[in-house]
Amino acid sequence: MNEPAPDATPGLGWGRRYLMCPPDFFGVFYEINPWMHTEVQVDAERARRQWEGLVSTLKQAGAEVELLEAAPGLPDLVFTANAGIVNGKQFVAARFRHPQRQGESAKDVAWFSAHGYRVDHLPPGTNHEGAGDALPFGSVLVSGYRFRSDAVSHAEISRLTGAAVRSVELVDPRLYHLDMTFCPLDSRRAMVAPLGWDRYGLRVLASLVPEPLFLEDDEALSLCANSVVVGTTVVMPTCPPRLGRALEAWGFDPVECDVSELLKAGGGCRCLTLALDVELGKAPS
Amino acid sequence: MTGEALPAREVVELEGHIIDSLILAKVLDLIVAAGADYQVLDVEIGRSNVDQSHARLEVRAADQASLSRLLDKLQVHGVNRASGGDATLVAADCDGVFPEGFYSTTNLPTSVRLGGEWHEVENPEMDCGLVVLPDGAVRTVPVHRARAGDRFVVGHDGVRVEAPSRPRDGVRFEFMTSDVSSEKPKATLIAQVAERVRAAKASGGKVLAVCGPAVVHTGAGPQVARLVHDGWVDVLFSGNGFATHDLESNVFGTSLGISVREGAPVEGGHANHLRVINSVRRYGSIAAAVEAGYVKSGVMFECVRRRIPFVLGGSVRDDGPLPDVISDVVDAADAMRAALPGVAVALMLASTLHAIATGNLLPAWVETYCVDINQAVVTKLADRGSHQALGLVTDVGLFLRTLADQLCSGAA
Repeated sequence: MNEPAPDATPGLGWGRRYLMCPPDFFGVFYEINPWMHTEVQVDAERARRQWEGLVSTLKQAGAEVELLEAAPGLPDLVFTANAGIVNGKQFVAARFRHPQRQGESAKDVAWFSAHGYRVDHLPPGTNHEGAGDALPFGSVLVSGYRFRSDAVSHAEISRLTGAAVRSVELVDPRLYHLDMTFCPLDSRRAMVAPLGWDRYGLRVLASLVPEPLFLEDDEALSLCANSVVVGTTVVMPTCPPRLGRALEAWGFDPVECDVSELLKAGGGCRCLTLALDVELGKAPS
Repeated sequence: MTGEALPAREVVELEGHIIDSLILAKVLDLIVAAGADYQVLDVEIGRSNVDQSHARLEVRAADQASLSRLLDKLQVHGVNRASGGDATLVAADCDGVFPEGFYSTTNLPTSVRLGGEWHEVENPEMDCGLVVLPDGAVRTVPVHRARAGDRFVVGHDGVRVEAPSRPRDGVRFEFMTSDVSSEKPKATLIAQVAERVRAAKASGGKVLAVCGPAVVHTGAGPQVARLVHDGWVDVLFSGNGFATHDLESNVFGTSLGISVREGAPVEGGHANHLRVINSVRRYGSIAAAVEAGYVKSGVMFECVRRRIPFVLGGSVRDDGPLPDVISDVVDAADAMRAALPGVAVALMLASTLHAIATGNLLPAWVETYCVDINQAVVTKLADRGSHQALGLVTDVGLFLRTLADQLCSGAA
């Protein structure tokens, strides 16, 4: 599945190596987003099977998966996308908005330090939730703000990584991270949920993404943008038929991967992964 | 929109890829949509795609509250207040003394930054210190009122003073373009002052009259009495001289022994003012003298009858003085301070010492009209920091007669 899309558009240039964390201590123990309801039971065994299914789907698509050890008391550590921003061998650690998740940072930093990354930190008092709110597209880093990440953090991220940032205000609390509204597919295309962006963000998008694939509002709320792209394979928590046809017409291979237990905490396939092969500022060639 | 109509201001900064991300455009749109205004102070645009841009704006809003709301809204988009930090506070180490380096006030609207928030000074007064109360309120305090442990602002950091502006409702005083005027047609000018007094009363403001003895000497006492009687004066500041001559002229018909009617000396008249002081001292107060029927007319009579608060401040050359005179000048100034809240218009009428004393206490937003035959008094008031004082160089008798005719119905 490593072949380029049929019309020879260069791919993303990243997305073949991921950090993931098994859902050993996963559950909905607090409510920090509109999807979380503590009265909803999580089937731990089913969650485990779904997570393993995602790992094997990614591997089948040609990706490598590295593991972060789960930790008790940190149920959301499973959503590694929020650990921080990876840029080559640099790791900018997230600063979580909610105290419930702030304990994750120490685990994330320990892993990246142990694996030879230079770890940088954002100044205290600034929030940014890592790749969950920052996805590279072309030579820029698109970063969301409002619900979890602060707009002021974008300037700091740019200083630390040298990346040009495009700041996008997220406007729907149900789509509280950028990766629930935006999914880069290749060098020219991305899935976008207009429901989650304001009109300024959509104008920025128009000059940034030559061929956007706009999601209908109900499609966006199925969290289908929270997908992982490995070459031409798009691993999706759900794939509405219209979207599947559109992706296929572009030469992509949409694969549904049931992560419904993990969706109870408001995170899909993308949230469960952190791409390790990202080099910011490098346009795919 | 003009800056004048939007007096609350704050300099803010934002940086990052604010041009390509349309963040700057959005911020400017939000400012305008909120009914506020901005001036771009400087924008540094990054040269390459990777370089960040930086913008500094002055945001202007109608008042501090709406400015704060707007800035909170803008903060989400990465907009931060540019002005340094909070004000520095130091506790006074003994009573009656400010901490070293204390901030010395002007009479202009002033705000102090504490915990990132701007707090408006409640009672601007020049030549005071700024004390921060436990509830975060900020007040001016004269040095003699400082108490050990009170927290005072020191230095200039975190203190913001609004530039002086002409009367807030935007009504123009065309005649006041030269602040001191002896050359203009007086009747029109006085009619405009009457209009300002009317407007101030209509919007719930108080009118303060500060009277010198010349008011009585020029025969204009009955005009002031008329204004008090008809409710155009809410507070009176004066001294022993004015009150004595007002009482003398109403009891004996003389002012410093000269008949107010005929202008000629009266037999034994030189002692009249002392006889009045002596009698009122026997009654115990001006009010008691009015109650007893000793005084039956005049400014002080009308003040007592209408329960208009008056403060008589003493001086070293006073005869007597009258029992109502506060001879400790620090106490007198405190009594004047206490009577000031709500005052919107101050009329300084042929008074030098009391006019300057009052000018020292007034916030800059109080419309102040200084009427004196001597241009130096008007100039002196402005030179001592009461820049809002607008002067009419004219005979106070003429001024008061015209003003009373404009405002009052019927004869005196």
